[in-house]
Amino acid sequence: MSLRTARCLLLACGNTLRGDDGIGPWLAEWAEERFSGESDVRVISRQQWTPELAEEIAHAECVLFVDCSVESDAGSVRTIHVEPANPDQGLATHHIGAPQLLELARELYNSLPRNALLLTVGAGSIELGEEFSEAVAAAQSEACGKIEEIILGFLRTISGS
Amino acid sequence: MSQTITIDPVTRLEGHGKITIQLNGQGEVEDAHFHVTQVRGFEKFSEGRPFYEMPSLMARICGICPVSHLIASAKACEAIMSVRIPHTAAQLRRMMNLAQMVQSHALSLFYLSAPDLLLGMESDPKMRNVFGVVAAKPELGLAGVGLRRFGQHIIELLGNKRIHPGWVVPGGVTEPLAAAKRDEILGMLPEAYANIALALKWYKQVAASFKPEIEVFANFPSLYMGLVNEDESIEFTDAALRLIDAKGAIVEDGITASRFTEVIGEAVENYSYTKFAYYKPLGYPEGSYRVGPLARLNIVKSMGTPRANQELAEFKQLANGPVESAFYYHHARLIEVLYGIEKIEEILTDPLILDKQVRATAGVNRLEGAGQAEAPRGTLNHHYKVDEDGKITWANLVIATGQNNNAMNKGVLQAAKHYVKDGKFTEGILNRVEAVVRAFDPCLSCSTHAFGQMPLALTLLSADGEVVDQVIR
Repeated sequence: MSLRTARCLLLACGNTLRGDDGIGPWLAEWAEERFSGESDVRVISRQQWTPELAEEIAHAECVLFVDCSVESDAGSVRTIHVEPANPDQGLATHHIGAPQLLELARELYNSLPRNALLLTVGAGSIELGEEFSEAVAAAQSEACGKIEEIILGFLRTISGS
Repeated sequence: MSQTITIDPVTRLEGHGKITIQLNGQGEVEDAHFHVTQVRGFEKFSEGRPFYEMPSLMARICGICPVSHLIASAKACEAIMSVRIPHTAAQLRRMMNLAQMVQSHALSLFYLSAPDLLLGMESDPKMRNVFGVVAAKPELGLAGVGLRRFGQHIIELLGNKRIHPGWVVPGGVTEPLAAAKRDEILGMLPEAYANIALALKWYKQVAASFKPEIEVFANFPSLYMGLVNEDESIEFTDAALRLIDAKGAIVEDGITASRFTEVIGEAVENYSYTKFAYYKPLGYPEGSYRVGPLARLNIVKSMGTPRANQELAEFKQLANGPVESAFYYHHARLIEVLYGIEKIEEILTDPLILDKQVRATAGVNRLEGAGQAEAPRGTLNHHYKVDEDGKITWANLVIATGQNNNAMNKGVLQAAKHYVKDGKFTEGILNRVEAVVRAFDPCLSCSTHAFGQMPLALTLLSADGEVVDQVIR
């Protein structure tokens, strides 16, 4: 099946109607514009991550997952390496996380990106609404800067390979 | 002392529901209910909105089958406008509805039910998910993911969005199909055919080992309803409904969207927010019926495409008359996926498929309109009333889950009576009772965003409400 693939993939997740949960899609939109002329970068934004995304991940050399976090302090921007992992419980259906997507990419397509990072922004509120909390609004530029730094680093890695 | 077993929430469904099983003093199952615990209110908050907004508003009801809502809603609007949409627009909508059916059926079978079928009803709950399927049979996982992506990608190509495309509008669609997109879809077909062939072969092998479940999974006579073409072949988008009885005889035919409320009523039970549809002449609950893949295949005489026709002939051999067990919804689902792929190929070879005339325009010419279509899980009817300015004054939606509601409840009771003995239950029994509901693939509402995990708890309560036992996973 034809698939638009890119060597560098940004994969965001979130619901724009649930306050700070919408930060993932917002950052994806920003990244889409920032890297609009860069053919090696593909940006995908989804309300939920689903197993079908495993193929896109398998075809990418570097992946940056972007999501909000209810476990981090509100407005804190964190980046961690992601390793493939099975779900720790039995309910995975059409709502899965970054480690599980990597695991599916490995199991189904026998391929993994050489670098996979997860950037999260700590949520202040995920109540119904399209506004970000003050903490997340204040963190937007920091998150954009971090994404730019990571993607440019990915592109350097790719061009050096 | 009587007891109640509660399964809350029921897992691997589209939305949130729970099951309660009432035991008598001897530990025997006395009653069982499937509860839908969400309130949506779409019919109410659409009041006052311009009618032409309705398709995009109503599509938000569901993230899995928004296309069916788009189409039923657009058809209701077209009844208000009194327009007939261009042939090409009708074909393009039909293709999008079929693409949605393929991806939705793939989700239901491969992600939600295949873990039970492949790994077993008693298998480790931690493995009963798509990861367990992939680990045990990677080629099956790959086929499921491939079919889901096939359907989603067609929706994205046509509507420029995978979920909630705004392309279907009152009067037709917003833009014609480009040749490049047609060719891209044609290029996806060989892999889709290979995937469904693999899935059908696998299903037929494993189904033989589920005879006990087939016997008690909502296995009882009922009425069935679905869209059917004049040549008695299956249809998902443009046709009238047929209702058949438990022996396959036609009870009511040619039920157009505008006639729907003449023959179908809705009852209310105090344990669920979902209504219970019934055939009015028989009353409630005697007039309860089933919709969805099993009903559609029981009603039609032909799929209208060669490969699916062969599968239908084999399916019809399962019973002398309508196939009754809800377990066979899985089988019917796969045959419909095959039909969907074939029909999409047929539509793409229509000489007018790239025609630029894809939208009719008009204002308010009637103050009432209804539209219907087949969603993956069954018949969907949208019915609106407007004022002279075209603002919605009243809306009613009859969805598939409401039409299957009585059968699901009876099915849960049948399975619970068979499996729960002396007030005792195991995780495997719990899973089988859930699997009855899962077979119907009810859509309780995916558009409600689930944040965090959804634990499953089965609780035994004494008559005075005291927790006697509990299993959580």
